[in-house]
Amino acid sequence: MTAAEPLPRGVPPLYGPVQARRNRGLYGLYAVVLAFLVIDAVLFPGLLSRDGFARLTQNWFPLALAGMAQALVMLAGGISLSLGAMVSLGAVIAAVTMSGPAGVGGGLALVLAAGLAIGAATGLIVVRLRLPAIVVTLAASFLIGGTALLILPRPGGAIPDGFSDLLAGDQPIAFGILVVIVGLWKLYLATPLGLSLYAAGENPVAAHNAGIAVDRVRIAAYALSGLLSTAAGLFVAAQTGSGDPVIGDSFTLNSIAAAVLGGVGFLGGSGTMRGALAGSLLLSLMINVMFFLGLPPVAQYVAQGLIIIAAVALPQLRIRGRRS
Amino acid sequence: MTSDDVDPVAVAPLIAAQDITRGFFGNPVLRGVSIALRPGRIHALLGENGAGKSTLINILSGGLRPDSGRIVVNGAPRGHLTPSDARKAGIAVVQQELSLTTTLSIGENIGLGAFPRRFGLIDYRTLAGRAREVCGLVGLDEPLSLPVGALSLGRRQMVEIAKALFRNPRILILDEPTSSLSARETGILTDLLGRLRAQGVAILYISHRLNEIMALCDHVTVLKDGVVTADRPLAGIDAAGLVRLMVGRDPGDLFPTWTAPPAAPPVLSVTGFAAGMTRDIALTVQPGEVLGLGGLVGHGQEDVLLGLYGAIPATATAVRVNGATSLPGRVTRANRLGIAYVPADRRREGLHLIHSIATNLMLPAFARQHGLSLRRRRQEQGATAVLAARLGIKGDLMRPAQALSGGNQQKVALAKWLPHDPRILLLNDPTRGVDVETKREIYRMLRQLADAGQAVILLSSDTPELVNLCDRVAILREGRIVARIERRDLSEAAIVAAAMGAATAPAGTGGAP
Repeated sequence: MTAAEPLPRGVPPLYGPVQARRNRGLYGLYAVVLAFLVIDAVLFPGLLSRDGFARLTQNWFPLALAGMAQALVMLAGGISLSLGAMVSLGAVIAAVTMSGPAGVGGGLALVLAAGLAIGAATGLIVVRLRLPAIVVTLAASFLIGGTALLILPRPGGAIPDGFSDLLAGDQPIAFGILVVIVGLWKLYLATPLGLSLYAAGENPVAAHNAGIAVDRVRIAAYALSGLLSTAAGLFVAAQTGSGDPVIGDSFTLNSIAAAVLGGVGFLGGSGTMRGALAGSLLLSLMINVMFFLGLPPVAQYVAQGLIIIAAVALPQLRIRGRRS
Repeated sequence: MTSDDVDPVAVAPLIAAQDITRGFFGNPVLRGVSIALRPGRIHALLGENGAGKSTLINILSGGLRPDSGRIVVNGAPRGHLTPSDARKAGIAVVQQELSLTTTLSIGENIGLGAFPRRFGLIDYRTLAGRAREVCGLVGLDEPLSLPVGALSLGRRQMVEIAKALFRNPRILILDEPTSSLSARETGILTDLLGRLRAQGVAILYISHRLNEIMALCDHVTVLKDGVVTADRPLAGIDAAGLVRLMVGRDPGDLFPTWTAPPAAPPVLSVTGFAAGMTRDIALTVQPGEVLGLGGLVGHGQEDVLLGLYGAIPATATAVRVNGATSLPGRVTRANRLGIAYVPADRRREGLHLIHSIATNLMLPAFARQHGLSLRRRRQEQGATAVLAARLGIKGDLMRPAQALSGGNQQKVALAKWLPHDPRILLLNDPTRGVDVETKREIYRMLRQLADAGQAVILLSSDTPELVNLCDRVAILREGRIVARIERRDLSEAAIVAAAMGAATAPAGTGGAP
């Protein structure tokens, strides 16, 4: 029809309003996060200094990456139970290689390449063989976790001090890296491959009929998820200065918690990365606050559980309330 | 009826299917079907439920391979199309089942799979401009950034149409595009199709609304049981003539002889009944009677059955069900009141496929036992053996139910209720996708049940079934009973005409059955 004609002038923009609408339904979460930030700052005024801000964001950083990694797989219609093992593997590879002949650069490349490759392989198995993600990633969690233990049977290895100080020192460099990663994600979402993740996750058959390479889109999501997971592991190793083969275990469930808090759905194609990030920040702030209040660590688990069930139940109750 | 500047008959077809045959699990759905879509012509495809329309569309758009026959695109013959072949040939389909991503915006949905790019990124400016343009064509004035999930079904349908137009189709296939549209939206679509026709687009239009087809289309292909019964210009044929071309299957000896039920007070009667999309339903059925529920698929027939069964919320102004004066409200009470329901989708709703045939047959009995009472294996074996013999199910009853053919599965889904002697049997399209022999057996079983004094409500998408099995048939359209046809007036033409709202509605409408 008229596709070849020049565009009419004065077409209202699309990208900006679309981005703005992604915040809908998240304002409540933003408010809670802000409240926790304020409480945290009152309890611990040092938070407002550069050093305090660096610490806060460093505590948040690995869970932020893990939450994004989990959200990616969930948007693709799956779930990852191997995420924690991937974090451990990333930490182990970094601790073993960076102080060796490969050096910091070589170790970094190895960590990222391993994440990308293992993530892609997981995705390939889930997508091509049409197996349930929960089973495949459960098996992968043993395989990957076992491999991490084979490489480094007990905590050890080392991260060069300079690199450790750079990432986890008193400058908020981790926050800068997070900003860059979020920027890259926005760029990815502005490509046809990235945006198609929503269509492929929500209704794969319809997406296929619309001409989307559904399998490729979903495998790419798993690969990127793996990349983010091992990167989180590398950071954890830099924080502690050495590698621990089971340090990532808690990240599996915490990443799911962050994504769920952020409104990422279990059925695929619904949710936002900004939601998952806010969810991970809330979890990490909560741990901070409870620590400063002197509550025992066990109480954190109880509070975390209550908050998650409230976060998923409240929207449902609101929908029911509107119906009746 | 065609536009002035194009003489469609003289122009070669953009796409033609020739002598297409396709079956599913041994049931032929299309048998030697040919159809040719020419530029500048709106071509109607008509047929009853299950005549093979959707299968034909899927073959034309690359979603299905034909078993035999060929497809000629721009003069080049080939055995089948892939979805990407179809896209390259300029074929766009507006599906009946919406295929939009609810979390993405209108604009993003329109461009999905065909995004304009700039440096590898989605060019949102170009997308906005072109999406606005196609939205203008279909009268969508919502902001393009609105998520599709926030739209009503009718507006989503318009987005679906805009999405098809975005690809600049040379061949546009619309599968019941107006079923969820308002009158105004239908008018916009009609104008649009007229303009596309003038631009030389070939349009295939599937609808159950005969007056729409009469007003809009140039040419018609009628399918009946997978065979083309007409391929002709629409000029010179009226709605009644079209209906006659769609119906009239020879039932042969498929159906048992009908017998009139003895006069008896009704076992179920409701007035002012509403459930799901249905409103103002009045129904009565007496022992020994088979009451048919007809109409096009999805006009509320299933909601009536589910509401009566207590599976979905329902209300009614007056109720008598087997002595009770209120609706069952929930399934366990419906069972106690002697109501049994056999769902249409036996694989998902009717049976536990991985469990044994015997377990499936015994499930309603388990539900009646008290909490932790022990099972009596020997009695169960006896009961299941008797049922299996009655059904003609041979072989080991400990096999999983999925080992049975579709027809035999349906028999199990029906038979599991028999030991409980239900007074009211609700059947949801019991012969959908079932082979002829099993159909015959199911019909015989149904007749025996009615003769034994059970009341049967039979929902069916198969018109001959309604004509040959029922004492009376109620036709639903858009959630209301629009016609009640007594046995003496029952004919396929009467049922189809009432379901499609054609003017040839028979005498005997109105009045509670």
